[in-house]
Amino acid sequence: MSYTELTVWTRGIIMDKEGRDIVNSVAAAGRLEGKFAQAMENYVDNPDRTNAPTRKYCRVSDGVIENALTYENEHPNIVVLVEETMVKGWDYMRGMPPGGTLVINTHYSPEYIVRFVPGSERLSQLVCVDAAKLADHKWLYYRLGELGLDRLSTEGAAERNKAIAPDIAAPLIAAVVKTTAIVKMETIEPMIANKKAFSMALDELHILPLNPVAA
Amino acid sequence: MSTKGTRIPDWLTVPFAGITPAPSQEKGQDLFPTGNWRAIRPVYRDKLPPCNNACGTNEKIQGYLDLVKRGKYLDAYALIKEDMPFPSVTGRVCYHPCEQACNRGQYDEAISIRAVERFLGDLGQALGRDVVKAGPPNGRKVAIVGSGPAGHSAAYQLARLGYEVTIFEKSPKAGGLNRGGIPDWVLPSHVLDREIERLVEIGVTIKTNVEVGKDVTWDDLKKNYDACVLAVGLTEPNSARAEGENKDGVLYGLPFLRDIGMGTSKVQLGARVAVIGGGNTAIDCAREALRQGALEVTMITVEANTKEMPAVPEDLHDMAEEGVELLHGRAMTAVLGNGRLEALQLHPARFAGAINASPIIIDREAPAERFVVDNVIIAVGQRASLGWLPDEFRTELGTIKIDRFGRLGDTNFFAAGDVVQLGSGQPLMVVNAVGDGKRVAFHLDKVLRGEPLQPRTIPVDVIVDLDRMNMTYFPHFPRVQQALLPPASRRRTQEEVIQAFSEEQAVEEASRCFSCGTCNACDNCYLVCPEPCIVRSVRSNGLYKILVDYCKGCRVCIEECPTGCLEGVPELDFDSGVVRMDTAFAITPGLHGRQAEELRNLAQRTAKDI
Repeated sequence: MSYTELTVWTRGIIMDKEGRDIVNSVAAAGRLEGKFAQAMENYVDNPDRTNAPTRKYCRVSDGVIENALTYENEHPNIVVLVEETMVKGWDYMRGMPPGGTLVINTHYSPEYIVRFVPGSERLSQLVCVDAAKLADHKWLYYRLGELGLDRLSTEGAAERNKAIAPDIAAPLIAAVVKTTAIVKMETIEPMIANKKAFSMALDELHILPLNPVAA
Repeated sequence: MSTKGTRIPDWLTVPFAGITPAPSQEKGQDLFPTGNWRAIRPVYRDKLPPCNNACGTNEKIQGYLDLVKRGKYLDAYALIKEDMPFPSVTGRVCYHPCEQACNRGQYDEAISIRAVERFLGDLGQALGRDVVKAGPPNGRKVAIVGSGPAGHSAAYQLARLGYEVTIFEKSPKAGGLNRGGIPDWVLPSHVLDREIERLVEIGVTIKTNVEVGKDVTWDDLKKNYDACVLAVGLTEPNSARAEGENKDGVLYGLPFLRDIGMGTSKVQLGARVAVIGGGNTAIDCAREALRQGALEVTMITVEANTKEMPAVPEDLHDMAEEGVELLHGRAMTAVLGNGRLEALQLHPARFAGAINASPIIIDREAPAERFVVDNVIIAVGQRASLGWLPDEFRTELGTIKIDRFGRLGDTNFFAAGDVVQLGSGQPLMVVNAVGDGKRVAFHLDKVLRGEPLQPRTIPVDVIVDLDRMNMTYFPHFPRVQQALLPPASRRRTQEEVIQAFSEEQAVEEASRCFSCGTCNACDNCYLVCPEPCIVRSVRSNGLYKILVDYCKGCRVCIEECPTGCLEGVPELDFDSGVVRMDTAFAITPGLHGRQAEELRNLAQRTAKDI
């Protein structure tokens, strides 16, 4: 029986959809594979504020998810940071069991980033992927006007682009799926809009192996 | 903001359980360190203003303008004296490369830096005691040959470092080119005399009427002194290479000015005078000729127009006001007359390549012009007279051979000023000689202390341009003009043409300074920060602190910094500033876990309990 929790840390408004795309697509792929899966967002975090730290959760399980009504992931096996600076800000490693995976969207190397990770002894691998570069993302403030129009709410009601992972989420999904095999690659790949960034990311991951867990 | 799950520290607990102090309350902010929202961190980093970079001696121009703005004139004078021994002189004669580089020049008009420098220099002259003192004596002796700008500057810096300095000057009065090359109506001799007194006050000995090679030899210098700076300058005038230059009535520019400056001139000019040459010395000669009694002065240049002439534009303008005529594109090929100059023979000419650095092409096929004059002053550059120098240190240009630190081989001899800068591409100007003297003094000091020499380098990217600054905060403001003597009255007087700034004018002009790239404590960051995270404990230069625990990295202060001294540095470049927020956003272990367990056990519970 395998049960995996995935927590995505992202920032309100400007990167909210990226985080939502990751958890939704992984959960959908899990259900296609016949697993039990769920995805939800954390509204305690007040994600309607620009730059506010926001969490998205996903659970994939072979059996019935017993804590389906629990609002937060208490023991995430996989943590994704959609924005690199978050590595300094929160205890995103809280509750992670040994053998976890941390995926960060950054152009820094994992060897540099690892100094900021609290409790890195619980990680089996630290994965850095320069998703912003791979997806040719025009960062933050350049797009704020467009984003304000596009993302009147965090629920996607007013979005112009309904595609899944058209932007920096695609390389991050590739990194998660390739390094953890939480779902099968062939199940999730057809859902992704930005196929180019997705396939490029598969070759351009920077993986730092840390503490292997005895099986 | 939801405060669900906030763990309140003991010292913040209030009698009402669950009430979290608001961020506006005392210490309430300690609960909400929002600094972890930040991707970039604002950092104060002062950069090099373009004026400081352009100045031949790298005066801290922005620094003293800022002090003048605040009325701290004595501090400003002390700051200028770090790099410049005689601000009252350069405040009058400098060709002000700083004003050409001034960023304000691209916006409206450049700051009148030279006029403010003159204001400070005159203030220094009026002081009973100078702010500069000699350094503690270190027992070493240095000889300096030449008391011109480079020699003066080197002597000044070495005296401040504690050396026992002796200057040898071959003229009867010290001052070199400052005295002999610059007319009284630009630099009155009493101003220069006062600056030389200041130099004597800090312990420098000046021996006049001593000529190197005659009264003191190379070996004497080597034997009697620990080190020596050769700042002999260019003393011999170049010839125009025209036929019959030895006739009566032919004068040379530098000796003409020098004799007037030293008070030994016996020249009687005729009514019509021609000046050959297009540089600053030629302009000074033409204007001096008017004051010496000439009625018509014509300047004959090879350059095709005034823009090509290697001269200060203001001086050209003032010269034209005084009534000097210009004749462009001609070269003098012969001096006509029978023993006494009667006329000049002119041919069309141009430079073969770059102005002033390439051979002159004279069109001798064209019909010659006859130009009737009573006197001609030839001012086509100078050269050094280095008969006393060992051959191994001479270059083909007739200058002294030095390494990049101004040192002659492995000796303790150094050279500075025009005698080494001729042909180096640097304009031969007072401020460049002063800068050269200063740098050589520091190199000499390092050599005598046995320290390795390192060239001074500035990373180019830190010289601030307008793109890095926020022009919204600078209203257009006209330059404060210096008053000039009326052109009509200038002709017969040796009085200064350009008048000094009053205190109000100096402050007004200094207030126009942008302080490019340097914090001038304008308080703008303090005002625009939407969070209370910029603190200002003392209102003085650059003293702000950014509380990184609360800075959200919104960039408002960076964008709004008028001078561009604030910059955003990626947060991950800092090892410090890790703020693990443990408040409203903390995961709450226990609460949901308990809930889940209850849900799991739901089926086992009796209906009544539910």
